[in-house]
Amino acid sequence: MATMAPAVEYKGKVIDFPFENPEEEKIPDDELHEHLAKPSTERTKRLKARCRWKHASAGEFVEHGVRAGIERMRLVTEAHKASRGKPEVTRRALILERCLNKGTICLQTDEKIIGYHAEDPNYFPLYPELSYMNVKDYLMSDYSPQPEAEAEAINDYWKPYSLQAKCEQYFDPIDLTRMYQVSTMEAPTFAHGYNSIIPPYETVLEDGLLKRIKMAEEHIKEAKAELAKEPWDGSKQLSWIPKIDNWQAMVIADKAVIAWARRYARLCKIVAENFESDPDRKKELMEMAEISNRVPAEPCKGLKDAFQAKWYTFLVCHGIERYASGFAHKEDKVLYPYYKASVIDKTFQPMTHADVVEYVEMERLKISEHGAGKSRGYREIFPGSNDLFILTLGGTNRDGSDGCNDMTDAILEGARNIRTTEPSIVFRYSKKNRPQTLRKVFNCVRDGLGYPSIKNDDVGIEQMKYYSKFSMNNNGATDEEAHDWCNVLCMSPGLCGRRKSQKTRSEGGSAIFPAKILEITLNNGYDWAYSDMQLGPETGNAEDFKTYDDLLEAFRKQYSYVMSLVVRAKDVGRHIETQYLQIPFVSSIDDGCMELGEEATHLSEQPNGWHNPITTIVAANSLVAMKKLIYDEKKYTMKQLMDALKANWEGHEEMRKDFKNAPKWGNDDDYADTIIQSFYEDILGGEMAKVTNYSGGPVLPVGQAVALYMEVGSRTGPTPDGRYGGEAADDGGISPYFGTDTKGPTAVLKSVSKVQKNQKANLLNQRLAVPMMRSVHGFDIWHAYMDTWHDLNVDHVQFNCVSTDEMRAAQREPEKHRDLIVRIAGFSARFVDIPTYGQNTIIARNEQNFGPQDFEFMNLELGQ
Amino acid sequence: MEVVDSQLHVEEGTVKPCLKCKWQIADPTNPDQGQCTVNRTAMGSIWKRWIRDVHNMTCSKHEEGKLSFREHV
Repeated sequence: MATMAPAVEYKGKVIDFPFENPEEEKIPDDELHEHLAKPSTERTKRLKARCRWKHASAGEFVEHGVRAGIERMRLVTEAHKASRGKPEVTRRALILERCLNKGTICLQTDEKIIGYHAEDPNYFPLYPELSYMNVKDYLMSDYSPQPEAEAEAINDYWKPYSLQAKCEQYFDPIDLTRMYQVSTMEAPTFAHGYNSIIPPYETVLEDGLLKRIKMAEEHIKEAKAELAKEPWDGSKQLSWIPKIDNWQAMVIADKAVIAWARRYARLCKIVAENFESDPDRKKELMEMAEISNRVPAEPCKGLKDAFQAKWYTFLVCHGIERYASGFAHKEDKVLYPYYKASVIDKTFQPMTHADVVEYVEMERLKISEHGAGKSRGYREIFPGSNDLFILTLGGTNRDGSDGCNDMTDAILEGARNIRTTEPSIVFRYSKKNRPQTLRKVFNCVRDGLGYPSIKNDDVGIEQMKYYSKFSMNNNGATDEEAHDWCNVLCMSPGLCGRRKSQKTRSEGGSAIFPAKILEITLNNGYDWAYSDMQLGPETGNAEDFKTYDDLLEAFRKQYSYVMSLVVRAKDVGRHIETQYLQIPFVSSIDDGCMELGEEATHLSEQPNGWHNPITTIVAANSLVAMKKLIYDEKKYTMKQLMDALKANWEGHEEMRKDFKNAPKWGNDDDYADTIIQSFYEDILGGEMAKVTNYSGGPVLPVGQAVALYMEVGSRTGPTPDGRYGGEAADDGGISPYFGTDTKGPTAVLKSVSKVQKNQKANLLNQRLAVPMMRSVHGFDIWHAYMDTWHDLNVDHVQFNCVSTDEMRAAQREPEKHRDLIVRIAGFSARFVDIPTYGQNTIIARNEQNFGPQDFEFMNLELGQ
Repeated sequence: MEVVDSQLHVEEGTVKPCLKCKWQIADPTNPDQGQCTVNRTAMGSIWKRWIRDVHNMTCSKHEEGKLSFREHV
């Protein structure tokens, strides 16, 4: 029998919490998630059963047979050698052309959306032009591309041309060593190749690539005329040359993409005409052939067109032209015109809403199967998932009206039915969102998917307007365009649409680790706990800090050193990208690049600089404990604390209790919250905002954790918050530390809402008790909570809704819990695919139950 | 400096390099470096130590093999 939430006395009434679906009473607590998947058709059921998942954990792939392919490495090398002497942007276009012309294409049973980016759907491509260390790691692993000798030779060839080698020369080797070990800061993009992008899908779907080619050709014609004008003025006319090169590269890229899609069309036709015996499938294949023959060359006319054109665009932007994580787009807005054409008006590719839901499920499975040649570091920090694939829904339209539509609902329904860890979903919460869609958001949340992750729509819009002020060509987001935002990856909003979107992670992303920085601050910049080396400037030993302010200033210096170094690394990477890692296909589909003849990595119209502080709360709680017990109450000396930390608290158990019991974040405690608010706003945000990046805008903190809270926790010794060495750090950007938020869910919100200044985003993880959420009052409680959250101007929240019983059962018998999904931080993961260390961090999160004081604060009326 | 066998130390050409040790997991960035995970608490925490050179470092806790992903971080 399932556990029912206990009755609560509220406003003089006893409130019971019977299940909304009485049938659930019969489902034991420890197997609930195994009853929730409901693929909408037999096809999606089969597709899920045979999905080639590529989940990684601790750097290893969970499923057998997954490995790196050699084909892309081989093709880019052939093209690179064959294009010597041509402009670099042309070489990049020719590399893409070769991959698309010569790469293996495949068609899988049952699928209606086709396309893959490696020679085998179990494989993923590698990118030797990015990081030679990353490829070497694969060569030393069980997933090495074959034949290995050829792969090694390719990596050797690329080493001097790689982004990594080209950037490394501008850094002190000591700084490189500090960056690469990922303990005070994340390694730079040039060392691991990780990237993110928001492709302007809209231009592909609305214009088609033939129109983009025509536009580029017209620009070339005009530019050549300008170049030939008399009298010659070299100070102006020479500027047309790089533009001509860019437009010509765009033409090469777009023609190659069209030809590649038509290869898929031919494949479908050949299979249909020669091999397929099922008449229904034959008909489907002929339709798929017709679609790929027409899109992305021409504008999309119906929803099937749109799903397929979007998928081709995704593959090129995220896997073939260059690797990029993410699935960033406002999907309901992008697809709604085609939903309307096919479902409502039935003018092209007529279908029902249920048909659309099936397409959503199929697209989710394509994403689940998509392989990313991520570095080891990135295979460690998204355990139990594939890559960070995250789409955005909801919010508001340019005119301020509700952004939810029937496509939003279909996407949420499909996600709930098929139950996959990816793509994750961000929902932009606005008070204008229609109730029917909010209900579907809630259904996903209470089913324990961990998504939608909820972002405050108003905060995001204001942020787009703020960054726009720093636009270097005075063409940042208008007030209307500021409504067109989606999350770039887990947490950070960025503009989306036909232009001005983020094209490379050198703009924003990557992490800094305050807990580790605090640790070295207490040790004169030296890391005794992990690397046994000097990691930062010499700022004095802990015993030298006579006041709390002395301690804080030493931290500030260590933090500032790291911040300038990491943004310098990103910008040096960006500089090299503009010269050697151009992305002409992306340029061709961006209206700004097309109009100006600019390259996508080079053009920045809307700054969007950010960096991710991860492990902030361990550092912040440690500061609170030190201020209280050493500087205010003088119960202990700093020397005593340092002795205890060096002994990992062994022999200092009573002292540890005091530090553990010091006030903690997330309890609406004024003493702790005042210190921590200042830490966020003045130090983390204030120091970061002093840095200006490539795009001319400030860099602001996006507090989030992925699973770096585990990795960096294991690289951090004991900390003054009472934590033992090697224990995980805090799991969000602003989430309370595991089990230390004891005053209920609204006390957490009150604490979090105090941090407002100098922030871009902050991730808040909350774990909700399953019985209350699945009760008849579940939606009303959640809805009132969300409105309260919104009114407090909190930026983000996401939920785990899973019982400890079920997680423990999955630890005992993992094979029986394949559908158990949990939210880590910024992504959802299959619970049984993450290491025990990580599993225990989810179990340790405080399970929030709403009580009368919460209902009252949320102004909630509860009927019987 | 005195070498303590139970602690990580350089031993050029060692036949028991960290690279082959079950407690080692590769460095997140540089595959010639690594992380030692032998320090584990009863509560399940893993306190890692950085390995500067996985080919030429070793210690007396060396055990050849490979742990499952479940037993790492």
